Amino acid sequence: MSAEETTSGSTRIPREKIAVGPTLRDLALVSVLGLALQLLATDISALAAAGGMAGLYVICAAGIVLTRFAPFYLPSIAWISLLGIVATLPFTPWGSAVTSLVADIDFLALSVPALAYAGLALTEREIDVVKKSGWKLLLIAVFVLASTYIGSAVVADIVLRITG
Amino acid sequence: MRAPGSVLDMWRLHVAVLVIAVVAQLIDVQEIPIGPAAILLLPLLYAFLLSVLINPHVVGAASKFIRKREVKAASPMIVIAIMPFIAKFGTTIGPSFEELIEAGPALLLQEVGNLATVAFAFPLAIWVFKLRREAIGATFSVAREPNLAIIVDRYGLKSPEGTGVMVVYVVGTLFGTLIFSVMASLSASLGIFTPEALAMACGVGSGSMLAACSGSLSGMWPGMEDTVVALAGASNLLTYATGLYVSLFVALPAVEWLYKKARPDEKPVARKEN
Repeated sequence: MSAEETTSGSTRIPREKIAVGPTLRDLALVSVLGLALQLLATDISALAAAGGMAGLYVICAAGIVLTRFAPFYLPSIAWISLLGIVATLPFTPWGSAVTSLVADIDFLALSVPALAYAGLALTEREIDVVKKSGWKLLLIAVFVLASTYIGSAVVADIVLRITG
Repeated sequence: MRAPGSVLDMWRLHVAVLVIAVVAQLIDVQEIPIGPAAILLLPLLYAFLLSVLINPHVVGAASKFIRKREVKAASPMIVIAIMPFIAKFGTTIGPSFEELIEAGPALLLQEVGNLATVAFAFPLAIWVFKLRREAIGATFSVAREPNLAIIVDRYGLKSPEGTGVMVVYVVGTLFGTLIFSVMASLSASLGIFTPEALAMACGVGSGSMLAACSGSLSGMWPGMEDTVVALAGASNLLTYATGLYVSLFVALPAVEWLYKKARPDEKPVARKEN
């Protein structure tokens, strides 16, 4: 695994400094925010929504602990995604229980608080970048989306022709 | 590195986020239809816009309520707030694990096609538009939530790389369905791609991009609707299962390496998340 090499020289906070306690506290806070939004966004009962958010909390908390203490480094989101997959594998004894616990949680509503924090976190530096090269980035964005589509179509087309 | 003070100390920040998020959720999803596609307005966009409007760096008068210290404390909250989303997203992949294994080599290899973003968009960003480090965030991926989270983890959102990925994320959310349905119709009318390949390519982005794209293809080949939808769906599942790891371990290191080659004179800046 070349994760350590490829990340050398990055600006990441050393993981020894990940404060597990405060992070878990803040995670609890955003989970409560998330719960409120689930009640607005979905028709599920308060109990089901609380159960679902609690399930997600446990997955995230375990991911944070692994980020801090596992023998090799993976970003917290990679751990959390991996744990989410493992927790819902259908052939495991726990898979179907976890799946039904979190199944009704609304995807889109979960992303709303993160974007609200993001808008509040902006400073002059980021605003300057957008002012200076915003239109360029807009064009790049359209190009990124279009070229991803064409690139994938080309590779799929070639592989389909080879494999029949 | 933690923000000073406790949760209570930062109550202004969290109350602001709660109010903004509730308002955004109440406005709900709005669609402006354009032909088979639509401009999609999502709660997360309203949340972003509303919070920009009460950011003291943008609107000076807002500093009465949100001060510089709240802005500082908001930054580490971004990655924590995205965690439940990523967890939920993992739990949608697990149950489909067996389908993914059965998906076959074309679907798996097609993931490599996502790297076309790097091959085409990165040179454009660097040599045509003369962008600096924001090019890294903008061109390493198709900028959906997992990719956004990777950039936030590595550089922070308050960085040139963060600005780059954020712009592509917002454009993708707003115009993604439009771009994908136009691209699908265009490439279908070229007549050089098989419908199966174009259907698989529909899955590289978000769920709404997938819907618009496979909708356009079904319009072109009415008899193949079931095949198109099934392949596009399997591809989308795979993108979400593997995309995070491909962009973390392949695309981002590749773009970083290319950037060092393209701008050898630029001193690596010692930046810290502040």
